[in-house]
Amino acid sequence: MEFGWNEELEAFRDEVRAFLQEFDTPALRKELANRGEAAQLGPEQTRLREALEDRGWVRMCWPEELGGEGKSQWFQFVMTEEFAKREVPYGSGFGTMVGPAIHRFGTEAQREKYLPGIWANDITLCLGYSEPNAGTDLAALETLAVKDGDDWLINGQKLWTSAADTASHVWLACRTDPDAPKHRGISTFIVPMDTPGISVRPIMTMSGGRTNEVFFEDVRVPSDALIGEVNQGWYIIANALDHERVWIGAGGGLRHIFDRLMAHIREKRPELLEDDVVRRRLVELELDLDVMEGLVLTNASIVASGDTPTMEASMSKIWTSELRYHISNVAMDLLGHEGALTEEADGFAPLGGELERTYRASPIQRFGGGANEVQRDIIARRGLGLPRH
Amino acid sequence: MDTTLSETQRLLRESLRDYLGNEVPFDRIRELEREGGADQALWEYLAGAGFLALPFAEAHGGEGGELTDTAVVLEELTRRACIIPFLETTASALAIARHGDGALADEVVRGVIGGAITIAPALQGSTPANGASPRVVDGALSGERRFVDYGAEVTHHLVEATENGEPGLYLVETAADGVATESLSTIARTPLAHCTYEGAPARRAGGAEALQFLRRAGRALCAVQCLGNAQQALDMTVEYVGMRVQFGRPIGSFQAVQHHCANMATQTLSARFLTYRAVWCVDQGIATDREIAKAKALASRAGTEVTMQAHILFGGIGYTEEYDLHFFSRHGKERALAWGSAEECLRVAADTLDEVQPWQ
Repeated sequence: MEFGWNEELEAFRDEVRAFLQEFDTPALRKELANRGEAAQLGPEQTRLREALEDRGWVRMCWPEELGGEGKSQWFQFVMTEEFAKREVPYGSGFGTMVGPAIHRFGTEAQREKYLPGIWANDITLCLGYSEPNAGTDLAALETLAVKDGDDWLINGQKLWTSAADTASHVWLACRTDPDAPKHRGISTFIVPMDTPGISVRPIMTMSGGRTNEVFFEDVRVPSDALIGEVNQGWYIIANALDHERVWIGAGGGLRHIFDRLMAHIREKRPELLEDDVVRRRLVELELDLDVMEGLVLTNASIVASGDTPTMEASMSKIWTSELRYHISNVAMDLLGHEGALTEEADGFAPLGGELERTYRASPIQRFGGGANEVQRDIIARRGLGLPRH
Repeated sequence: MDTTLSETQRLLRESLRDYLGNEVPFDRIRELEREGGADQALWEYLAGAGFLALPFAEAHGGEGGELTDTAVVLEELTRRACIIPFLETTASALAIARHGDGALADEVVRGVIGGAITIAPALQGSTPANGASPRVVDGALSGERRFVDYGAEVTHHLVEATENGEPGLYLVETAADGVATESLSTIARTPLAHCTYEGAPARRAGGAEALQFLRRAGRALCAVQCLGNAQQALDMTVEYVGMRVQFGRPIGSFQAVQHHCANMATQTLSARFLTYRAVWCVDQGIATDREIAKAKALASRAGTEVTMQAHILFGGIGYTEEYDLHFFSRHGKERALAWGSAEECLRVAADTLDEVQPWQ
């Protein structure tokens, strides 16, 4: 056991901080603020991204055959943490999830075709998983891919396909054997979004963000759009979902909310700090954040030691997603009526409206990425070994 | 950063778990609870096998290990409900060894490692004593202390007292003239004493730094005990609900039961990180009262809530004296209160809210 950082990682942390000092410019801030829903990076983000590639930091912890250096996962952790502290994004969205899947399950030709584009962010992805009748029970999906000569013909509908309007490709799960048990008849494809027969309809959410439904009508794709073996898709998806849970669990943004809440109270509402009950509630939030940090570091430790967290990843996902609701809820409560103000109430809204925005956006963290009830099932069954029947 | 057990820690845990499983049946704990006293045979084993030497410097005959090694041992002892002054003796001797008088340190540490010396910290607690706070005048200690864990069972007390108005720690032999102990019964049924000192011969063992170290080490290690009780109750519950059949299936296959278990496991793992980090920080000399208080608050809650939830899932059998679950719910609650309850610890954190640093 060791709860500090060794010299090598401390030195790397300094390097990352110096890097951010250089690249986190007003121009980048302006670009980030105005980027809207665009999936393509602007010139400043591209500059930052290329500089990261030059230093070999994007995939330094990946295996060497993936162009990585096979470094300890702690380097990735430290870099992610420093970027999160500055609130500078650097990831390529779902590419970090789909890329490894293509590497692991794709052919040599598919790797060459897709991976460089994914790493350069020229290929951006949306996830074609959920459907009207396949949500938490994802394996019930019905979008059909049928072999037609050398091609595949795809028909069906996807739902909650975020970024479908901006992504260049969809990572698509389809049924390829309707007669097999439901987990054994699924395959995964990568399909350009401009393929004829694909149409996208927007769905606006209460968070203010956009998601989509996507329709597939006689969409014809070549045989090399299939990644992995036919009907191996569920295994590939399950692998990628494990990855997604760790990703969602990293909730650095919540620390910023707490810090800004403290700053707001100190500057604008100092009378609240005279109240012992308020102080106690703030300490409870801080403790909740400490737990979050502990769970994240516990997960990272397991990954760094070469194992795969399952139960621990689910715990982290549950905790962070519930804390996102809890921290915004308690903060709004402590502030009273001003807690309800949105960013449009310019100059009046505490934290620039971040509290009500976080509150509105919190449900998806809890039901998305595998609903928290399912995460508790995973902890009990896969982690603790409790029986299914 | 590495939250996983080292190879040494894994070996320590396995060997002690084997020994306790074979040599310390729960009926032995029942016997001690009935008759009072600490487990002398177990203490001799721990001394002989080197478990008492782990955190002490090699210069004093110790192993030069890390305090987290000792914490792993303490957690294992807790998981068997063992009744011995392990935390008390280790924390006291470490305070003297690291921050106290040099000559005394060598004598005390060697005595502890050999098993001949056991020590109970007698510190100012949260509940005010009726009598006078201990004072030392010309090497004689007078006053009273409550509550002193294992006060009647140990060979020495390490008493927080003032001399010429300065706080310090003073070593007193339990058998010396002028030392009186009165046993107090608690929910844990483990030894606790109300101690009075009337001109008892006392040797100065350390000053304010030693006292601060002892408070921090004691609180962090007590968090380990809370955690051990929670972990044991969790593991017993998972095993039980996996085999207890009702409605034709194991009750552990019902989602309602599974989700309780998932929450218990999450609460326990959460407490584990902060607790061991607190112990590690104490060892490194970088602990703050605030961080230790937060860790103890979290561990206290786990030790209480997880062990009580275990009873709810066990039903009738876990409620009986014959079954072993009550050791952990009773010990868990008592340890939740010792060295600062969750409420007391949260007050420490709330009073020092200004120390919170932004994440940057």
